[in-house]
Amino acid sequence: MRVYLCEDSVDGIFTGVYDAWASRLGHDNVKLLAQSGEVYEPELFCEYQRVETDPEKAGKVLKTIRNRISEYAAQMLIRACCSADEEKADDIYRFIVLGLNMGRRTSDQLSDPHVMSIFEKDRQVGNEAHHYLGFLRFSRVKEGVLFAEFEPKGDITAIVAPHFADRLPDENFIICDRRRRKAAVHPAGDQWFLTEVSEELLQKMEESSDRGDEYRNLWKVFFTSIGIEERRNEKLQNNLLPKRFRSMMTEFQIYE
Amino acid sequence: MCYNMENKHMFAILAREQYLIIDRMVRNMVLQERLSLEEKLRILSDAAKYDVACTSSGVERAGNGKDLGNAAACGICHSFAADGRCISLLKILYTNECVFDCKYCLNRSSNDIERATFTPEEICTLTMEFYRRNYIEGLFLSSGVLRSPNETMEKIVQTLQLLRVKYRFNGYIHCKAIPGASEDLIEAAGWFADRMSINMELPTAEGLKALAPHKTRRTILTPMRKIQLGIEESRAALGMMGGNEGAYRVTQKRLYESTGGRLGTSKEQRGTISEGTLKLLEEGGIPGKPGNEKRSEGTGAHSQRNTRSRTEQTDILREGESAAEEVLLERAGNRMLRPDKLGAARGFAAAGQSTQMIIGATGESDYQILSVAEALYQKFDLKRVFYSAFIRVNDDSALPEIPGGPPLLREHRLYQADWLLRYYGFEAEELLTEQKPNFNVFLDPKCDWALRNLEQFPVEVNRADYFTLLRVPGIGTRSAGRIVRARQNGTLRFEDLKKARSGAETGYLFYYLCRKDDVSCEDRGELHYESTAGAERPAEAVQGRFHDLSAVVFVRRCSIWTV
Ligand code: SF4
Repeated sequence: MRVYLCEDSVDGIFTGVYDAWASRLGHDNVKLLAQSGEVYEPELFCEYQRVETDPEKAGKVLKTIRNRISEYAAQMLIRACCSADEEKADDIYRFIVLGLNMGRRTSDQLSDPHVMSIFEKDRQVGNEAHHYLGFLRFSRVKEGVLFAEFEPKGDITAIVAPHFADRLPDENFIICDRRRRKAAVHPAGDQWFLTEVSEELLQKMEESSDRGDEYRNLWKVFFTSIGIEERRNEKLQNNLLPKRFRSMMTEFQIYE
Repeated sequence: MCYNMENKHMFAILAREQYLIIDRMVRNMVLQERLSLEEKLRILSDAAKYDVACTSSGVERAGNGKDLGNAAACGICHSFAADGRCISLLKILYTNECVFDCKYCLNRSSNDIERATFTPEEICTLTMEFYRRNYIEGLFLSSGVLRSPNETMEKIVQTLQLLRVKYRFNGYIHCKAIPGASEDLIEAAGWFADRMSINMELPTAEGLKALAPHKTRRTILTPMRKIQLGIEESRAALGMMGGNEGAYRVTQKRLYESTGGRLGTSKEQRGTISEGTLKLLEEGGIPGKPGNEKRSEGTGAHSQRNTRSRTEQTDILREGESAAEEVLLERAGNRMLRPDKLGAARGFAAAGQSTQMIIGATGESDYQILSVAEALYQKFDLKRVFYSAFIRVNDDSALPEIPGGPPLLREHRLYQADWLLRYYGFEAEELLTEQKPNFNVFLDPKCDWALRNLEQFPVEVNRADYFTLLRVPGIGTRSAGRIVRARQNGTLRFEDLKKARSGAETGYLFYYLCRKDDVSCEDRGELHYESTAGAERPAEAVQGRFHDLSAVVFVRRCSIWTV
C-alpha cells in the first residue's frame, strides 16, 4: 500500500489524485491522506510518499472532473477539499474513480460510502460557510481597513470571500482565518486574493481592532436592547447560535 | 422663571392630564438635545423590539460593483438575541413619540416614558456602519406617530430616500407603513423598500376598536392594498425582478392545476382584492373562501377589479408633502419611467408585503385569527403573516392578565397552521371550525387534523398525489417531493420511505404501502405499535378522542399502519 501525503488544499489533494492515478499501482493499492505537517502515525506495511503540489496537475484533474462527471460534482469536490476531516482526500479519490465510470449520475449514488461521505462534507462545509456569512464580524482598524477574524473548522476563507467582495466592493477588508494563518484581502475597488498572515501582522490588527471603533459599542447596545425579556430563551439561542462562533463576535465580547 | 397670575390660572384649568402631556413635551424637548446617539439607539431599538418580522429573505440582488450592499434570497441571520429570535436587520423606530394611544403599546401617548427621535442622517449612518461591519442585512424602519400619520410617513420616506440615493445603500430595507398615511407616501416608500408591512394589530375590527382607538380597518387595509397594487405594477413592469408571488398563491395555483380546478383557486380568483371583500374586511368581517365570494359581495360591486382606481395624477404633488417630492415628480410625467430611475434594480417592495397580529390580547379564537390570515394571503397576496404572543407591558384594565406569561405555545401552533395554509394547501375551515375554534396546544395542527379525519388514512404512498402526501403527519414538503421523485423509479418500500423522510425526528406514520386500500375504519384500528405508556388506548386514538399529552406519546410511538 502506498500512501500519498498531500498538502491540505484543493491543489494539493487534486495533485495527489493525479499522482496516485498515474502510479498505475491499482486503486486498491493506493491511499490518499491530506496532511500538511509531519505529524502522522505511520502504519505498518505502508510506504509513504509526499506529494509535491503542482497546480498544473491539479488543473488537469479538475478539468477531467468537469468534463467526465459534472460541474456540480466539481463544486462538491472542491468544497469537500475544504473540510477539516483528514479522510476526505481518499474519499475524493474514490469518488473520482467511480465518477469516471458513472459520469453525471455519480453524485446521486448516496448508497456508495465515498459518495455519501463527499455529500456530507460538502454539506457541512456549505453550512459552516453560510453561518459565517452572518456571524463574521468586521471591526474598523486605524488605517480605514475592515478586519475580521474567525476560526472555522473547514478551510472556508475562499468560499466566504466572494460574498463579501460583492457586498463591500468599495471597502478595504481582510478576513483572517486565525487557525490557518491565511487571509482573504480585498483592496477597495479591486479583486480579492488569498495570502498568508504573519503572527506580527495578526497581532497588530487585533490590537487596533479592539479599541477605537465606536460602532462596536453601539452594536452591543442594540444587541442587548432588542431581546425581549419576557421571551428569554437561552436554549433556543444556543441552538441557533452555537457557542463556538461567539468568541469572535462583537456582541459577545464583553471586555474591551 | 416667572409668570403672571393669569397664566397660573390657565394651568389650573388645564386638565391635569393635559398638563402632564405638555410638561412631558417640554422635558423631552430639552432631553432630546442632550440624548447621545447611543441613548437614542437604546431607546428606539427597545421600542421596536416587539415587532416580529426580522427576516431579510425574499429578494436576490447582486452587488453592483461600487455601492455598499447586496441581498440574498435565502436571508441571512446575523445573530440571535437572548430570546432566541434572529437578528438580521437594524430594527428601530424613527421616533417613539406617538399621538396614538394603543393600549397594548409601550409608546402610547398616555405613557410617561423616555422619548427619542432619530434624525434621518443618524439612521443612515448607523445602517451603513453596521452593515459594513457585517452586523446586519439591512434596515427595518418603523415609527410611532409623530403629530400625524402623513408627517411620520414623510420622515420615513425621507430617511429611505437619503439612504438609497445619497448613501447609495444597496442592502435590504423593510419599511413599515403608518396607518392612515396617504397613498402617495406609501407608494414613494415602496420604491425604496424591499419589503413593506403594515400591522393588522388585532384580528377583528372590534378588537381594534377596543385596544387601538386611533386605528381602523380602513386606515390599515387601504395602505395594504396600495402596496399590493404597487407590487403588481412593478411585477408587470420588471418581470421577475419585481418579486414573486407569495407561497400561498403559488400553492393554490399548483393545487388548482393538479386537481383540474377541483381545489385551489383559479387565476381570476387570485386576482386583486375586490371592492366588496375589502369593504367586508374593513367592517371587520371575514370573507369566505373564493367559492363563497358572492356572499361577501352582496353589494353588487364588480367582482373582478380589472380597472384599478388610481389617485388622480395631478393630485399627487400636494403642497407640504415635499419629502417625497422628488420621487413623485417623476411619476407625474410617466408612471413607468419612475422605476427606471429609482427602483430599476429593485422594483417596488420586491420581497413582498407582510403583516402582524397580536395573539391573546383580545378574545379571538384561533379560527378567527387563521381565517383572517387566510383572507390576507388570498386577497392581498401577503408573503407572511406574523403572530406575536401578547405581552402585557402596560398596566391597563382593558388588557387581559395572562398568568402563564405570553401565550408562546399558542403562537407556535398558529405559525404551524399558517405553514399549512401557505405550503400544504390546507384551508382554515379544515383545520378549525366554529364548533372547534381553537387548536389543542399539545398537538401540532396537522396531527390534530389527521386524528379528526382518520377516514382519510392510511394513504397509499405509491399512488397518492403530492398534496395528499402532504397531509400525512410526518411527511413535509421535502419528503413529499422526494417520495414523488423516488417512486418514478419503481415501487417504494418501507426502507425507501425512511430515507425519503427528512430529518431524524420520529414522526407519526399514517401511510401504508400495501395495495389494500379498501380497508374499513375498524380494520385500521389494529395498529402495530410499541407498547408504551399511552398505548393501552388505541381504539380511542382511532376515534380521534385524544386531546391530552398521552395521545401524543401514543401517536408518536405507533409504527406503520400495516393493514
Ligand atoms: S401607533 Fe399605537 S402601536 Fe404604534 S407606536 Fe403609537 S401607540 Fe404604539
